[in-house]
Amino acid sequence: MDLRLLDRHGLSGTAIVAMRVLAALRILAPIILFLLLWQSLGSFHLVDTAFLPTPVLIGRALGDLLTGHEIRDNISVTLVRAFTGLGLAIVTGAWLGVGMARSPVFRSYVSPLVGATYSLPKTALVPLLILWFGIGNTMAIVAVYLSALLPVVVHTYHGVMATPPVLVWSAEALGTSRRKLLWQIFLPHALPDIFTGIRIALGFAFVVALSAEMIASTAGIGRLIFLYGENGSYDYMFAAVVSVVLVAFIADRALLGVGTWCLRWHASAVDVEQ
Amino acid sequence: MTTKIRICGISKTYLSDNGEVPALSLTNLDVNEGEFVSIVGPSGCGKSTLLYIVGGFIAAEGEVLVDGKSIAGPGIDRGVVFQEYALFPWLTVRRNILYGLENREYSPQQREQIADRLIGVIGLKGFEHRYPRELSGGMKQRVALARTLACDPAVLLLDEPFGALDAQTREVMQDELLRIWLETRKTVLMVTHDVNEAVYLSNRICVISARPGRIVEEFTVAVDRSIGREQVMLSEAFNKVRNEVWLSVRRQAIAAETQHGFAPA
Repeated sequence: MDLRLLDRHGLSGTAIVAMRVLAALRILAPIILFLLLWQSLGSFHLVDTAFLPTPVLIGRALGDLLTGHEIRDNISVTLVRAFTGLGLAIVTGAWLGVGMARSPVFRSYVSPLVGATYSLPKTALVPLLILWFGIGNTMAIVAVYLSALLPVVVHTYHGVMATPPVLVWSAEALGTSRRKLLWQIFLPHALPDIFTGIRIALGFAFVVALSAEMIASTAGIGRLIFLYGENGSYDYMFAAVVSVVLVAFIADRALLGVGTWCLRWHASAVDVEQ
Repeated sequence: MTTKIRICGISKTYLSDNGEVPALSLTNLDVNEGEFVSIVGPSGCGKSTLLYIVGGFIAAEGEVLVDGKSIAGPGIDRGVVFQEYALFPWLTVRRNILYGLENREYSPQQREQIADRLIGVIGLKGFEHRYPRELSGGMKQRVALARTLACDPAVLLLDEPFGALDAQTREVMQDELLRIWLETRKTVLMVTHDVNEAVYLSNRICVISARPGRIVEEFTVAVDRSIGREQVMLSEAFNKVRNEVWLSVRRQAIAAETQHGFAPA
């Protein structure tokens, strides 16, 4: 944001590039420092690298993994599970949230259920889901779906409920029918909150997909990490974790980009970018 | 003169944690076609409530008739402008103005023409594609006014329309409203706490008592408004009515304060 202000105050192109590089360094410096410390633990034999492989060893393993198809295949399995569950959760969660906000009767039935199950770690249900759906995609997708559903429901509900009466009244006085109010007023108003809910749900989706795979699965990056750990190949295990972190980070940034574009009208549009 | 709005025995009670709070009590008011009527009174006297009832946004005891017909809810015959602008933040200036037109039987060209004309009237050419958050308070209120005028309602309901603006912008906006009213002669019902504003703009002023609100006094303003703001506001006729209304509102405000001592709202 401050960079954009500088831009407006007429700084030269090279000065802006220099500022950008400095800003990037400020973010990267702590990470580099952390990696150097970590590396020195192994290099100076303070910790056995069999238990805590150094960043260099992990990097080598990561290079090895990326050239093969093992990690690609397993990550795509996990991604399909995470995004299918998340997608289903967004669609049904938004409607449940809208229903709760718009119908007091519906709310009186659903709201106690949401309250009671909100703090339940959904991974605790995985043994039960295995019993119902067996080991495989369905089980993992249902687990992701259940964990991603509630953040979307709750945020949609709050976004719709917070719609100022004057917006609804203005629309009504301009001839908007009650049916159209939902699409033209309530949902657009709730959109920033729905995006917040989706962002939280995205985080949950990755965590639960990986956990479900670690508990019981024949494929997926969670299982791969678990297998490497079981076999004591900690450098490969860490490399797989790093690849998950990268994928999750890219997914979150992509979502943020879409959100910022869709919400460019919203007051938080600038803050969200950071 | 024909009666445009007839307010018959309106009462409104709100439910709160401390029981029932009477907001309005048996209010009667007739507004003639083409008349500009202001409602002034101490804050919390239920004057906005009365406007929301006429708008059809909240239900109340009693009856509101527009053109002799009882209202059943909000309608496009009554355009409304709120103090907090109430623009749709996800729509650009232009789309906000077009919003009400899209519910009506205009051709796309007609819609665009109306929008073009109104953007010109409110002086926001070049800002058509901005979002409301990028506008100042005065600009937002201009857009809100244009959005309401686009649908050409017979009645304008104004809820402290300039209350959130600074003193200079407020005067500019009052003059614009006056100009639009003189041109279109719409029936206007405005709620305000600004006595000068009420006297400057209205044909008639109703003073509402402290809660439960009730119309206690009425003043007719016979001022020639074609002579310009300075001449109007410095004229004896203006200041005589202004002082009378001010004293009346002051009496109600003092009554409200002593009342608040016993029952804070």
